[in-house]
Amino acid sequence: MIRLLGERESGIIYPLIFQRAEVTRRNYCLELSKHKDVEGVHKGSINSVDLDVIENRYLLSGAADSSIVIHDTQPANGEAQQTYKHVCQVSHNSGSTKHSVETIQWYPIDTGMFTSSGADYQLKIWDTNRLKVADKYSFHGIVYSHHMSGISVKHCLIAVGCSRSTVKLVDMKAGSATHQLRGHDSSVFVVQWSSRDEFLLATCGADNRVLLWDIRSAKGSLVTLDQHNGESASHSKCAKTAHDGAVNGLRFTSDGLHLVTFGTDNQLRLWNAFTGKNMLVNYGYVYNTSRKAAQIALSCSGSPDVVFAPSDSNIEVVDLYGGNRITTLRGHYNSVNCCIHDCQTQYLYSGGSDRNILVWAPSSETEDYEEHLRDQSKESRGEKSFTQRTAATADTWSSDEEDNR
Amino acid sequence: MSRKRSLLPDLYKSKRKYVPSASCSTENNVSTSQGGPTGLSDLLTDTRTALMLLRSMFPEGKFENRLPPIILKHQVYSYVKNRTLADKQMNDMRASGEIKMFKLGAEAGERSLVFTNKVNSCIVGQCTDISLDKDRLVKDFGFTDLEITQLVHASVLTVRDVGSWWLSIPNAGIFLKTFIRGRKAVLTMIRKSKYREVLKNDLQKRRWPRLARLGILYHIHDVIGADLVDCISTTSGELLRLRE
Repeated sequence: MIRLLGERESGIIYPLIFQRAEVTRRNYCLELSKHKDVEGVHKGSINSVDLDVIENRYLLSGAADSSIVIHDTQPANGEAQQTYKHVCQVSHNSGSTKHSVETIQWYPIDTGMFTSSGADYQLKIWDTNRLKVADKYSFHGIVYSHHMSGISVKHCLIAVGCSRSTVKLVDMKAGSATHQLRGHDSSVFVVQWSSRDEFLLATCGADNRVLLWDIRSAKGSLVTLDQHNGESASHSKCAKTAHDGAVNGLRFTSDGLHLVTFGTDNQLRLWNAFTGKNMLVNYGYVYNTSRKAAQIALSCSGSPDVVFAPSDSNIEVVDLYGGNRITTLRGHYNSVNCCIHDCQTQYLYSGGSDRNILVWAPSSETEDYEEHLRDQSKESRGEKSFTQRTAATADTWSSDEEDNR
Repeated sequence: MSRKRSLLPDLYKSKRKYVPSASCSTENNVSTSQGGPTGLSDLLTDTRTALMLLRSMFPEGKFENRLPPIILKHQVYSYVKNRTLADKQMNDMRASGEIKMFKLGAEAGERSLVFTNKVNSCIVGQCTDISLDKDRLVKDFGFTDLEITQLVHASVLTVRDVGSWWLSIPNAGIFLKTFIRGRKAVLTMIRKSKYREVLKNDLQKRRWPRLARLGILYHIHDVIGADLVDCISTTSGELLRLRE
């Protein structure tokens, strides 16, 4: 780091290179944070977390006991040891019965509203300030996933995937579902808009398939991703599959050029988002126990970017383009359901069935914190020794004698 | 601290690389000849060399030369740590016709390899894919239905679906039976040892059941490559720990 700083100072390298290197180093050395944690509010397993796009500050989480909580990850007090307090919470959002919240997402433009969906067969749009449901849409089945495009300027559609095989697009302006996308044979686990093309949508489901859609085309899906790139699946009747098991994780890279999928055949796969070709990166065996959507996270602006994949009670960190395993993050007591990466501070937040949200911070920050603790204890010891010294040298009874004399 | 250092991205690492001196390398060779290819595994980056090594481990004589040396695809990963690179090189070798790939293994996704010069079959020699459909067989190779049936009887082809066949190796059943028995034996050995972990060198010295004819080294590479055990390097050699 010192060498790079020197080189940057003398103008040998661009500032961007230094930034990339530092971001990558921080991504590589994540560990369970010793000085930051999230206040435990949930009473059920956490199914989905999201961080707001504007400030990367408010952490939204939805749990299986139908509660929704917002935590503030940048509290105003500048202490080193921090517990992220919850700002507000909604418990029992669906009346008397508890329905699990499966997916939760901030409105991409501001924190004024957020969307949630789950086992109550509904997609709800919430007003954050009043904590009331502003609008809701009903579907015929458990809503596993919904997503709103972060870059769209021409539409404000929410894609919804549920236990029925059709994907629906809800227009918030019209107040109803406008499109139905038919193509899957079974329940749809994850839907995700591209982060580059606002009309491109990717969906995956229990029928082992990943479909790419252009929502302007009326013909159906654009591409069905094929894991063998058309080789041994040359048989015409055999449908093209992306995995040999249900696909329950899907994420576009931040530049929108690639797509990462995670299947119950314990494989991660990387796809070219434009051609739909399998990039044939072999990530090895990444254990996937989840039988519903598993939220994977990707780092951004690192020089080799990394994938964070929930794997039973651990999170596997693997190199996105090389496929090498970097580390395994161990900390949860039960299976991990979701994780989200903060691109600015390189923190990772993960939620699991043990009802905890854990904060993973770069280990260099932990070292800083330990140094800070050492300084603090040294200071306090210094003070104490000073008072002890003064106490030892002070004579409290001499004046009394002097008076007698 | 040293573990943390190893996680740094390449940009931070100094460009100087460790070059073993002459005396050190001869020592390495001696240890290699004694304890199998443990010292060699660090040096191997070439998939072809790994394949050659694995082929030499296959005991052809024990199968009365009825089988060509079969290598499982994931066994290569125990030598070549970069799986993406290994896959790419194997695909290149397959495209150039140097090796053949078959769908053969304990699980559905597993693939096995055979060097082409060991296979004496006309369609296997010409086809680079792992599966064939009827169009291809009839038009490109000029087979009649009867001949296809004969090929299936000779187990050069196995049925995949209506009008579609997997390529296969005659007598593959004998291999698979032995292979599954051997894998079970290795995993039982590791499971029964203390803390479910064992040094690779110790494991190689153990008594090996005679019915599992493939040899212990072949199976060690199989369980490492299939991610059934974790491979941890210690000061006294590699340690294999059973994955939960």
